[in-house]
Amino acid sequence: MISIRTRLLMALLAVVIATSLLAGLLTYRRVFAETSTLFDYQLRQMALSLRSQIPMAPRLELPPDQADADFVIQIWDPYGTRVYFSRPGLPLINATTLGYADVRVAGEAWRTYGLQTLEGVIQIAQPLRVREAFARGAALRAVIPLLLLLPILGAAIVGVVGSGLSPLRRLATEVQRRDVHSLMPVATERLPQEVAPLVDALNRLLLRLHAAFQAQRAFVADAAHELRSPLTAVRLELQLLDRAPDENARREARTNLGAAVERAIHLVEQLLTLARSDPREEAGAWSRISLEQAAADGIADANSLAQARRIDLGLEAEPAAVQGDPEALRILVRNLVDNAVRYTPEGGQVRVSTRDQASGATLEVVDTGPGIPPPDRERAFDRFYRRSNAAEGGSGLGLAIVKAIADRHAAEIRLDDATGGGLRVTVTFPRPDLRGPH
Amino acid sequence: MRVLVVEDDRMIAKGLHTALKQDGYAVDGVSDGASAAAALRSSRFDLVLLDLGLPERDGLEVLRELRSRGDATPVIIVTARDDVQSRIQGLDAGADDYIVKPFDLDEVAARMRSVLRRAAGRGDPYIRHRGITLDPVSHAVERDGVPVVLSAHEFAVLEALMQRPGAVLSRAQLEDRLYGWSEGIESNAVEVYVHGLRRKLGNDAIRTLRGVGYFVPKD
Repeated sequence: MISIRTRLLMALLAVVIATSLLAGLLTYRRVFAETSTLFDYQLRQMALSLRSQIPMAPRLELPPDQADADFVIQIWDPYGTRVYFSRPGLPLINATTLGYADVRVAGEAWRTYGLQTLEGVIQIAQPLRVREAFARGAALRAVIPLLLLLPILGAAIVGVVGSGLSPLRRLATEVQRRDVHSLMPVATERLPQEVAPLVDALNRLLLRLHAAFQAQRAFVADAAHELRSPLTAVRLELQLLDRAPDENARREARTNLGAAVERAIHLVEQLLTLARSDPREEAGAWSRISLEQAAADGIADANSLAQARRIDLGLEAEPAAVQGDPEALRILVRNLVDNAVRYTPEGGQVRVSTRDQASGATLEVVDTGPGIPPPDRERAFDRFYRRSNAAEGGSGLGLAIVKAIADRHAAEIRLDDATGGGLRVTVTFPRPDLRGPH
Repeated sequence: MRVLVVEDDRMIAKGLHTALKQDGYAVDGVSDGASAAAALRSSRFDLVLLDLGLPERDGLEVLRELRSRGDATPVIIVTARDDVQSRIQGLDAGADDYIVKPFDLDEVAARMRSVLRRAAGRGDPYIRHRGITLDPVSHAVERDGVPVVLSAHEFAVLEALMQRPGAVLSRAQLEDRLYGWSEGIESNAVEVYVHGLRRKLGNDAIRTLRGVGYFVPKD
């Protein structure tokens, strides 16, 4: 885990140290250059002031302040004999360069100035370390206060960062208090501007979670409620079987019990299908599949009910490709056809067709049943919505399942009147090439 | 006893129908709120089993309308709505009892008897009058301590007459309690049952008020 505080502290300290060192270096170089100019001038002045004193060179006395600065004076007569050496014993240059020069003698760097006069040559020399010492001193004087500030700066950074991060700690406590039962949005007041987008995003997530939990709870409650009806029928028929007075009554109760159990099974299966068609649960890889094949499979599934109700069930297939989950599309078709068959009076017709249109592949299911009046069409997709004239055994989940699968495929469903009465359901899928792989 | 079953689930309605007929009730059924309201306006029932979640009109609405007319027909709500709030609402709307699905048939039968007993103003689960004792649960009948075997229809006629001794019931009123809408009625059926009852319980058990109907003498 990266600590913002440590990172800030390290970065700021590094910057301060680097700045101090740079300041020291610059100071050193500037002071060195300045002292060099001054000392060079002094070297020359000394040489010039000694010009008239060459004849009395052996008795020359140096002013004491100049002795401090480690000046070394040598004077040679015109014949090249050294007539004066201010620091006998020092191994110094025997010959000299006129003007300024940098020389190195016995491992030490010197700055020299040589002056030619009629009476001889004067050379003033000074070790470079004198100048370096000046520059070093100045550089240290510049750097030390900065370095002394470091601990204070560090403490200040720790404090400021700590108080700057305290809203984050408050936020963490707030968020920790959230659970399934309380998904209240986190308060955004008194939060720094930088944290606000994070909290906003978090609040949006909390809202979505809350909605999802609500939907989940509603679904479970609805499912439990809806399971009561088939279970009531099961219990009722079981008790009728127990108390049946004769063989006829017993046989009838047994048949009805079977139907009631089938109905409970159907409802549970539909509930499972609906739960599995949840958009968040992505099943397998999607492929380009033929809608007419899915339609044929779905119709085959619903055929036995159509046979039992003597309904003329038919498919008009035109090739049409969609991008999707073949199993889900088969379930979609099965539920649409199943619904149509259940609501169509015996002996009626249910027509299924697939078409490839400019707007995309379409699936159409048309029946000769009573249709759904326009005001009820929106509600028809609600879970457990049942029309009052439903045939036995409907779960009330068929259209909800169709809607969930269609939503997953970004398909559009329209309910309207079929020509000559009955219901027409049209499902339009987006063109496969307009959708990327899901 | 004539019962109206208001239930939109065909399987449950059919099952209740069979069970109640076995218990000797005359049963009529409707599957939506509007038909229930119409049936309650046009016919007289001894008891109503009312589902709440109905198409067209909600059961509670039907119940409130019935009570606002001053109709005291006993009503038992039979519903999947099991929360306390719904129970309170149902009872306060005028229901005499409240049963939650999935129910037990025997319990429904017992509650129906209890509601009918209270509606008749009796505390005694047996109907007793002038030496005749009638058990609505087992349909057993005794005359002066001696068991008497009656057919289901004979029992129904006797039960109807013994509910209010002295009150005269016409042949049509008795037929109403014996048969549901869908059942065919033989023209002289009531006379046949009354004849049978007099044979088994004594001529004086049921009297005829010529041109009006039958009654059980008050004392």
